[in-house]
Amino acid sequence: MYVYLYDNFLRQKKYDSALKAIETRLTDYEIAGKIIRLQSFSNTKHIIDEEMRRGATTVVIVGNDATFGHVLSRGATCDVTFGFLPMGNGNTIAQVLGIPEGVESCDVLSRRRVVRLDVGWVNNRYFVSQLHVFPHDVSIEYDDSFSVFAVNKKMELVVCNLQPFYFKNKNGTKQAVHPQDGKLEAFIRPLARRGVFKDIYEEPSVFPFEEMVVRGKKPFLVEADGKQSKETKLTIRLAKSRIAMVVGKDRRF
Amino acid sequence: MFPKNQDLSLQSRQVQSQEPDTVETVVGPSVHVEGDFASEGNILVKGTVSGNVTTSRLLTVEDGAKIFANVKAGDAVISGHIKGNIKVSDRLELTESAQVLGDITCKVLVVSPGALIQGKLNMAGISIEGASSEKKRSVRSRLKSTASMEEDDSQQTVE
Repeated sequence: MYVYLYDNFLRQKKYDSALKAIETRLTDYEIAGKIIRLQSFSNTKHIIDEEMRRGATTVVIVGNDATFGHVLSRGATCDVTFGFLPMGNGNTIAQVLGIPEGVESCDVLSRRRVVRLDVGWVNNRYFVSQLHVFPHDVSIEYDDSFSVFAVNKKMELVVCNLQPFYFKNKNGTKQAVHPQDGKLEAFIRPLARRGVFKDIYEEPSVFPFEEMVVRGKKPFLVEADGKQSKETKLTIRLAKSRIAMVVGKDRRF
Repeated sequence: MFPKNQDLSLQSRQVQSQEPDTVETVVGPSVHVEGDFASEGNILVKGTVSGNVTTSRLLTVEDGAKIFANVKAGDAVISGHIKGNIKVSDRLELTESAQVLGDITCKVLVVSPGALIQGKLNMAGISIEGASSEKKRSVRSRLKSTASMEEDDSQQTVE
């Protein structure tokens, strides 16, 4: 049985026709199911557990990267297969998973090519897309073997799992994401100086890792899957093959 | 028939073979790494590393980068400073700005004019006759001479 979790922004009128087309295609494939509309404070784990108790085998997330992160940050512990139908703006994860936007995403869902994905684990919760530590005086220790610090002290840290991270280098824009390589990628950008309009950063450093500890003397701002919090210590680990996900043929891993 | 501009340098070959998406370990220019640093993929050092660096693939040390420990790699292109021993299993390339203070072990060595090296160089696969056998012979002859001297001594004591 399929359950569809719709993001709240899909209530807008402009998505009506696209949603109707998707629902018609899903009915054609005989994989239509219960539709649940998520609110900003919905506990997705509780919803998925409840639907699994009622016999749900596949939970399909309908929305953008933010919806994907919101559902899986808590729902990753549930033993159920996840699907994704990208809708609206801000869909980068769908490209990585090889899922096209619009009605074609239903074709990918119906083919049911299931792959287990690695997810990140930070201070007792999962993150699936990206973790961002805003510029702060932090020290970073990798895999209990080496530590990294910047000359100018302040560093910005981005840990990528599924959401690609773009940065400019000498050759132009470079993109990096490897959801299935058994490691997380950490991008460190030391702050060169504060500009009038925007901060100026040094070239980023890239370190693949399995476990990382970020420490700061003062609380620093962290954003994981769109949710912000202040921490003094972060332990980031890789949870291997945690999520069973329906992916497309054109996935990037 | 043959391409005119054949650039056979390791970096260019690596760039050609690499996919644009592949991530390598990059140590940025204003970043310090302390501790033993190992990676399964390519390593690009632009900053400072104080600790052993180990990779089975390509290690690139850019101009201005510094490594203060031993280095072990599959291939290496050095343009920066290294204070420690270098052990490369295949090809080591030292560019004009490279400075090495330590012993080097490699299979193929490419040194550009201007590169500075202070240390022993050891390359496997040498097949000059007598290069290794001379040593053995000298050791054998020394052993023989010492044995004969001992025999003479013992004969003298018996007498």
